Amino acid sequence: MQPDDLANALRPKLGPRLRAVEPFEGTAGRVRFDRTAALDLFRAVRDDLGFGHLSMVAGIDWVDRREVVYVVWSDAARQYAILSTDLPADDAHVESASPVWPSANWHEREAWEMVDIGFDHHPDIRHLLMPDGYAFHPLLRSFKLHEPEELEVKARHV
Amino acid sequence: MATLTLYSVAYDIARGLLGVLGSVLPAGARAVVLSGDAVTGLAVLVFAAVLLAASMLNTILLIWWERKLLGRFMDRRGAMHVGYAGLLQNFADGLKLFRKHTFPPREADGLGFYFGPTAYMVTSLAIFGILPISSGWNSGALPLSLLLALTIFSFAPLFIFVSAWSSNNKYSLMGGLRSAAQMIAYEVPLLLAVVAVVVLAGSFDLTTIVYEQRNYWFWGPLFLALIVFVAAMLAEMERIPFDLPEAEAELVEGWNTEYGGMLFAFFMLADYLRALVGSILVVLLFLGGWTLPSWVPAGLSSFPLAGILWFMVKTYAVFGLFVWVRASLPRVRTDQLLRVGWNRMIPLALLSVFLAAAVVTVRCVPVLGCVPSMGA
Amino acid sequence: MSEMWINMGPQHPMTHGLWNLRVRIDGEMIRDVDPEIGYLHRGIEKISEDRHYNEVITLMDRCCYVAGFAWEHLYILAAEQALHVTPPERAEYLRTMSDELQRIASHLMWYAAFVQDLGLMSPFLYGMRDRDLVLDLLQDYTGARMTYEYMRVGGVRSDLPAGFTDRARKVLDWLSDRFHEYDQLCLGSAIFRKRCDGLGVLRANDAVAHGVTGPMLRSAGLKRDLRKDRPYAAYDRLEFDVALADGADVTARYLVRMEELRQSVRIVRQVLDWLDRHPGPSVADRLPRWLGAPYAPIGNEGYLLKRSYPKGIGFSSVEEPHGEAQAYVVNDGGEHPYRVKFRSPVFANISAARQYLVGYHVADIPPIMGSVDVCVGEVDR
Repeated sequence: MQPDDLANALRPKLGPRLRAVEPFEGTAGRVRFDRTAALDLFRAVRDDLGFGHLSMVAGIDWVDRREVVYVVWSDAARQYAILSTDLPADDAHVESASPVWPSANWHEREAWEMVDIGFDHHPDIRHLLMPDGYAFHPLLRSFKLHEPEELEVKARHV
Repeated sequence: MATLTLYSVAYDIARGLLGVLGSVLPAGARAVVLSGDAVTGLAVLVFAAVLLAASMLNTILLIWWERKLLGRFMDRRGAMHVGYAGLLQNFADGLKLFRKHTFPPREADGLGFYFGPTAYMVTSLAIFGILPISSGWNSGALPLSLLLALTIFSFAPLFIFVSAWSSNNKYSLMGGLRSAAQMIAYEVPLLLAVVAVVVLAGSFDLTTIVYEQRNYWFWGPLFLALIVFVAAMLAEMERIPFDLPEAEAELVEGWNTEYGGMLFAFFMLADYLRALVGSILVVLLFLGGWTLPSWVPAGLSSFPLAGILWFMVKTYAVFGLFVWVRASLPRVRTDQLLRVGWNRMIPLALLSVFLAAAVVTVRCVPVLGCVPSMGA
Repeated sequence: MSEMWINMGPQHPMTHGLWNLRVRIDGEMIRDVDPEIGYLHRGIEKISEDRHYNEVITLMDRCCYVAGFAWEHLYILAAEQALHVTPPERAEYLRTMSDELQRIASHLMWYAAFVQDLGLMSPFLYGMRDRDLVLDLLQDYTGARMTYEYMRVGGVRSDLPAGFTDRARKVLDWLSDRFHEYDQLCLGSAIFRKRCDGLGVLRANDAVAHGVTGPMLRSAGLKRDLRKDRPYAAYDRLEFDVALADGADVTARYLVRMEELRQSVRIVRQVLDWLDRHPGPSVADRLPRWLGAPYAPIGNEGYLLKRSYPKGIGFSSVEEPHGEAQAYVVNDGGEHPYRVKFRSPVFANISAARQYLVGYHVADIPPIMGSVDVCVGEVDR
């Protein structure tokens, strides 16, 4: 599958909400989309293009904006595809992929606590790697290492 | 020669000691010291002390034996450094446990927490007062010694459950429940297998049972009962493959999760005491006790203490079998264990009882010879 | 007995690491599970943002302590794509060999831990004994048994010592004789089959939906192996089969891993032959200077840091012993990676725990989780 194939298959469904499909070495392509198209895109990618396996959800803090990267795999095409969307830094939230790919659950929890990206309609959003009540988002660029952090860890289980 | 029993030796020692004591005391005190009651009392104490020392020594030796055997099975050498071939390693371990502090959990029930292991240990030790080891090491004629030994043996689940429940830990509780279920399930086939032996020997007295095996050992005609007995014994001893009450993979340490220091040592020692009792019972009931088959040259069984030696050899060999099983089998699951216990073991045990009855009726088994007449 | 929650972990013999499996039980039955992770979180992704590209390799070894090479390789591949570097062919073969030796060591470790969970004591020692031989080999050419720091962006640190291939062949011969013994001890035991057959069933469609990969997925009959599907390093030039089973249960996972052990031995043999046939120049000398020769000073004052690279994004994916690991490395032209994101296969495999644990017995948790092969280091990163 080539980037053009992805674009041709997705363009009719998403229209202008599909920003671009860029070539990405080693994958079928890198799909840039508008966050309002998230669920439609996920469904189309899974059902029409056969990318049934969501491998990874990564959040990237570009300071002025935040990027969410989804990596999906198709067993039929034996290829990865990368989906990516930009979110404004002051209002970083996107629709959760969990209803489409259950495996998104934990990855989104991690992205939320690490990069402070909200996932709407996530079934179970709570801290994953950090203790409950942890007030920081360590993978933001503003979170500097070597700074003492004052942290009150609430008891997780009573 | 009057039979020299363990108790008579203890009695002689006590009388000698008191005699020495009496010779330096004034006349009034001497009469008290040399009275029958005093001698008997001291004799019982000496008897118990000898038993305690011997059983503990054997238990520790048994642990060493298991460690060495397991080591060989696992392509390693086992304990090597303390004492010759690691013989003193277990004493060192015991000393370490002895010095350790025991921490009862804050919410634990104090009485049960301490009472459980202690009673477990005491009852396990008490069985040694009953078991005859040789014609000399013998607590004397107890017409129901087998029943008594098994009765005390079956106290264990009660005390395990008491200590598990009073630990106030979910793992302990689950281990205790499993232990109780398992021991109750396997008590029945164990006793039924024993019934087969009793039918054949015509006696509940362990000494008599051993003498009844003078023509042939009971494992031949009662092979089925032996299998059932050994399997049930493995379950009673809570050893792999039946060690699920303390399955460390899922229950941490099962019912002794919360125990440390000497209380844990009590559990540990009592487990091995029970393993020793189990091996001894197998030897007594099926393998001819301290006797040797008649075709063995008499010289091998006539030297002093030969009975004890051969008894120990057999016991350690039987325990070695248990260790072999432990080294090569995985653990079964609770439901599988109980299903095997109720659905397979009990019918097999019943069948072995019928076989024993048949042998007694026929009286003479081809190859093996004849059953001695009852009460002879 | 009414239902209760028990915490299996963070200190529990079942966990083989440091995580917590909360289990709601009804008697001996599992009604619900809730895995909790994070106890071993070291912030490797964050620390990586403060390090030079080659310095991240140190962290990769600590990512998964039984599969350090696989993680080094993963990161190296992504970093090479981000930095537009290609390694020499000999380095690719060396990496492949390292990967497969690591897979053998990891699977032997898994075998040891798994049988221990079932209460089998002796095979545990056998597995550890044989793993030690593989670790000796790794030590032979990297100098370390666990944290190798051997691969470099653009190649590997050093070449093989003299006589290595013969020593390695000897170990491989020993190993391939042992696999049969392992099978006898496990598959030959009726109790083992009773404990493992039909346990922890996770069918292929559920596995895909929940992101489960690796031996767990292949045990469900789905043929997916990145070494075949998306060949990296030298895998496209080597012959091997993808291990498959169709039971989707614990036994099937056992079969898959055992077959992978055999295939790994096969692969390493081929690589050793190739290395013998192509003595070639030592790879260590061919590392790009600007990425650090083997013993180049690496630190705040080193010349490594005063460098900017052409921008790029690297994405790599390797078949780690536990499943598919992925790395996403963003290079913004600075001296450190801008963002490094790792996808751990065990992370996804654990997240699906509810799918393959509920409905079984408490006593089934150790064998099931054992068959998942949990390595907490890479889950928490």
